[in-house]
Amino acid sequence: MFSYDLRLALDSMKRHPGLSALMVLAIALGIAVCTVTFTIYHAMATNPIPHRSDRLYAVTLDTWSAERPYDDEKPEHPPQLLTYRDAMFLHGAKAASRSVVMYKSGALLIPAREGVKPFNSQLRVTSHEFFGMFDAPFAYGQGWDAAADAGPQPVVVLNHETNEKVFGGANSVGQMLKLGKVEYRVVGVLKPWNPSPKFFDLNNGAFEEAEDAYVPYGWGKALELPVYGNINCWKPETGEGYQDFLNSECVWLQYWAELPTLADRDKFQAFVDNYARSQKAAGRMPRKLNNRLYDVEQWLDRNEVVQKDNRVLIGIALMFLGVCLVNVVGLLLAKFLNAAPLTGLRRALGASRRDIVRQHMTEVLLLGLAGGVLGLMLAVGGLAGIRAIYSSDFNGSSYERLTQIDPVIVLVTLALALLAGAIAGLYPSWRIGRTAPAVYLKTQ
Amino acid sequence: MDIKPILSSLRRSPTGAILVALQIALALAIVVNSLFIIVQRFEKVNRDPGIDVPNIFFVGWVPSSDSYQGEVTMREDLAVLRSLPGVAAATVVNAVPLSGGGSSTSVFTESNEKGRRADMNYFEVDEHGLDTFGVTLTEGRNFDATIVTKPPRNSSFSPSGILVTQDVAKELFPKEPALGKTIYTGTSQPVTILGIIDHMHGSWPGWDKVGNVALFPVIPDETYARYMVRAKPGQRDAMMKQAEEALNKMDNGRVILKVRSLEYIAANTYADDRAMAVYLAVVIALLLGISALGIFGLAAFNVSTRTKQIGTRRAVGARRTDILQYFLAENWLITSLGVVLGCVLALLLGYWLSTTFELPRLKLYYLVIGVVGLWIVSLAAALRPARRAALVSPAIATRTV
Amino acid sequence: MFEMTQVTKAYRTDLLETHALREFSLKVDKGEFVAVTGPSGSGKTTFLNVAGLLETFDSGSYRLDDVDVSKLDDDARSKVRNHKIGFIFQSFNLIPDLNVFDNVDVPLRYRRMPAAERRERINSALDLVGLSSRTKHLPSQLSGGQQQRVAIARALAGDPALLLADEPTGNLDSLMARQVMDLLEQINGMGATIVMVTHDPELARRAHRNVQVIDGQITDYKPYEPHPTPASVTVLHPKAAEATCG
Repeated sequence: MFSYDLRLALDSMKRHPGLSALMVLAIALGIAVCTVTFTIYHAMATNPIPHRSDRLYAVTLDTWSAERPYDDEKPEHPPQLLTYRDAMFLHGAKAASRSVVMYKSGALLIPAREGVKPFNSQLRVTSHEFFGMFDAPFAYGQGWDAAADAGPQPVVVLNHETNEKVFGGANSVGQMLKLGKVEYRVVGVLKPWNPSPKFFDLNNGAFEEAEDAYVPYGWGKALELPVYGNINCWKPETGEGYQDFLNSECVWLQYWAELPTLADRDKFQAFVDNYARSQKAAGRMPRKLNNRLYDVEQWLDRNEVVQKDNRVLIGIALMFLGVCLVNVVGLLLAKFLNAAPLTGLRRALGASRRDIVRQHMTEVLLLGLAGGVLGLMLAVGGLAGIRAIYSSDFNGSSYERLTQIDPVIVLVTLALALLAGAIAGLYPSWRIGRTAPAVYLKTQ
Repeated sequence: MDIKPILSSLRRSPTGAILVALQIALALAIVVNSLFIIVQRFEKVNRDPGIDVPNIFFVGWVPSSDSYQGEVTMREDLAVLRSLPGVAAATVVNAVPLSGGGSSTSVFTESNEKGRRADMNYFEVDEHGLDTFGVTLTEGRNFDATIVTKPPRNSSFSPSGILVTQDVAKELFPKEPALGKTIYTGTSQPVTILGIIDHMHGSWPGWDKVGNVALFPVIPDETYARYMVRAKPGQRDAMMKQAEEALNKMDNGRVILKVRSLEYIAANTYADDRAMAVYLAVVIALLLGISALGIFGLAAFNVSTRTKQIGTRRAVGARRTDILQYFLAENWLITSLGVVLGCVLALLLGYWLSTTFELPRLKLYYLVIGVVGLWIVSLAAALRPARRAALVSPAIATRTV
Repeated sequence: MFEMTQVTKAYRTDLLETHALREFSLKVDKGEFVAVTGPSGSGKTTFLNVAGLLETFDSGSYRLDDVDVSKLDDDARSKVRNHKIGFIFQSFNLIPDLNVFDNVDVPLRYRRMPAAERRERINSALDLVGLSSRTKHLPSQLSGGQQQRVAIARALAGDPALLLADEPTGNLDSLMARQVMDLLEQINGMGATIVMVTHDPELARRAHRNVQVIDGQITDYKPYEPHPTPASVTVLHPKAAEATCG
């Protein structure tokens, strides 16, 4: 029966090619707009580390001024960064199964090789747990250990692109290169790795590329490596020099803890609260006790990675699809009712109401499928266009990452198209099935 | 024009008309609100930044050897830059305006963080800074070379005098002239307002206080400083090349990184706003297109099912224009229904957008634009089918199919 | 008042040229009831279209109500149809969305007549055809005969000089057919000029004059009598017909 329905559907479409094409186009446009918007939204809202996201927690303490909250728009949230003293204490206390303290810096990278120009590299100054906690994949070598952090030992891990640039992509473990004034030995090279969003440090943009190189945390203090992220200070402090900066209430460090179970999390929370209480007793942390742990998804939410604009666009895309569907319903109704005499004849010849509805729904689904395929092609074109217009080295090619189509999107798009077609076709199919055959067999 | 037969006809089979009206209503709601957002973004992107954006570029560098001599080297470099014939002014600065990155601090009218407060986006520049930005003072004078210093790294140095924009001045001293007044940093250091800048945008275009800018007579630390150069009109690109060449020739312990124009940097900062506007413009165009096609399709179909009726009307005396008017009036009636419904939807959507996403409230004249626009689109779409209806021959009436 | 002289009309397609009317001449006097008969394909419908100004013709002349209507433009032809001609179609051609009153109203509206005058005319026309009690009904709620009577009322409401009927009983059963024919005769008796196109010889006999069209030309002869038996030719009085048929 299905193949017969299919044949009838194709015949019907051929009989009114203009109307059918219009309907396919309407569905295609609605689907295309939704797909483009959803793709970008999905890329922004996607969990960058799903298999670990519920074990990793960004740790924040409310060390801010008594006068006003850190964030006027979200006063219940503490600052996203920690002071040097608090971060060092928490990291040293080892209250979590693993934790990492880090910040973003930069230095002139001077390759040992001739022919490669020195360039300003983006550095991540981090403790050794970084690679394990965030699942950074190694192509060659590995990270360093706690001793290297403490040393600090002049070792460095390169990202894939930097290794290509400086060492031509070869296994550069053991090679030397200069960062700023110090010569470092390469101990590891990462595979291409750009978590999107860059959840562990959202300060410079949620979709920024990951850093070019990673050095042990101890170098930050040893070389007074500059902070390329945010530094926020509330307390008027008359200090001179780097040590005073480290002792200040300025927040500039990221601190993440790995807490595998909820019990671990509660324990850690209690630990942090106790620490805060002791600091309060010593005269710090004037605000109410408000130390928060955010898992990855909560962290992305807190930092509004998916911006307001994106949500507005989703709403508009859906409404646009709605208009397209209303269009299609009207055209379907017109088309089906126009063929009513033919339908009446079929009923007279023995087709049941269900047969008629099924026949028309088949046609509708066929139109939906065609619209979905066309819509997908249009969406791919649209995303390519966005990438072409908006990609630049300046925004860290974030638009590249946001506009990739993956198989999931293809399936969802086609499913959406079929669903849209089905919804649009329900009323017209029901209507045409409902009409009594006799009405349409009379000549007037 | 007799609308009774149109109404009777619509009442008998309202589904088609309802669908068209609904489509028009939804389209109106979307078009009106999208247009509003587009205009907002357009206005935001096209605000006057005060600075001479077309002619300014930035040179980034990094110390590369121990022979780097901080302030001395910076002054050497600036002298070279200023000697280029196509350069109007040059300075060293801590951050790039309109780039999304910069520094801010708070000042108060009284010490101990009391009195009125203003948050300022400050730029550390030398005495040429004002000129290089290309902004003008409405009151007071620029700071001179004697008070420009380079404080030690990580020190909490406060300059003795600064320049501020009018926006800052008004926040601190709403009812009195701010020139010459003393304000206080967070650490209660006194600072004198030496001059008031007319108008200038700072680092963060998305900040509602983007016009709160101050210039500090400070030479920024080399870990984050860059040179800002204002070329003479029309010579920016040439000067960008020449500056890079001239600075590269010097062997003074630093390496030149990127040379970028402010235009390029600002365009990237505004890229998201532009993208939003373009996206919405595309949606509007597609929406109007699909609506027009849909209305055309339905109108054409409508006409094709009523040829007998049209022929009869013509047979009993209707002229071609009578038929044309009939179908255009029918279309107008349905469109008006859709427009009325659409206005309600547009206002609801606008209200919801403004409360949920903290966007400004929809202005009413956008509704008028949307209504007129959709009426025109609907009329244009229905015109050809209506004309074809008018051309139906009266002889159809005698045909027995 | 109706005079067609040497009217020719041909239909041209890419492939062939059909001469639907060839030097067709017909003269009808005021108050006459003329039947135009002929086999299918003879040009009856073309004649009707030309007579009703629904189509133009190629050569010849046509005078209606002392006005030469041969070379009028489309708007002028519409005006003549509106004022001077009343159509009665085989398939009634009532507008399905409008009720009886509004259907009769249609031609009057195109005449831009004031509301009071229209109302008066419509009511008296419906009265004449015997449907005053059904003004609010839709055509789908009426029988075939009633629909045709509404069509007749529509044709009469404008006080036309000529009534053109195209197979007026073609879609009716014999009972309703007789009712309609009686009505037409009654109207004719009141002074209306009627030209009726039909292929039914029985029907044709009820007219005053019978004209035959073959191959686009007129063959004019007296009323047809297959078996000249006085008893078979009965002319019923319209009122008596209604009494017997209800």
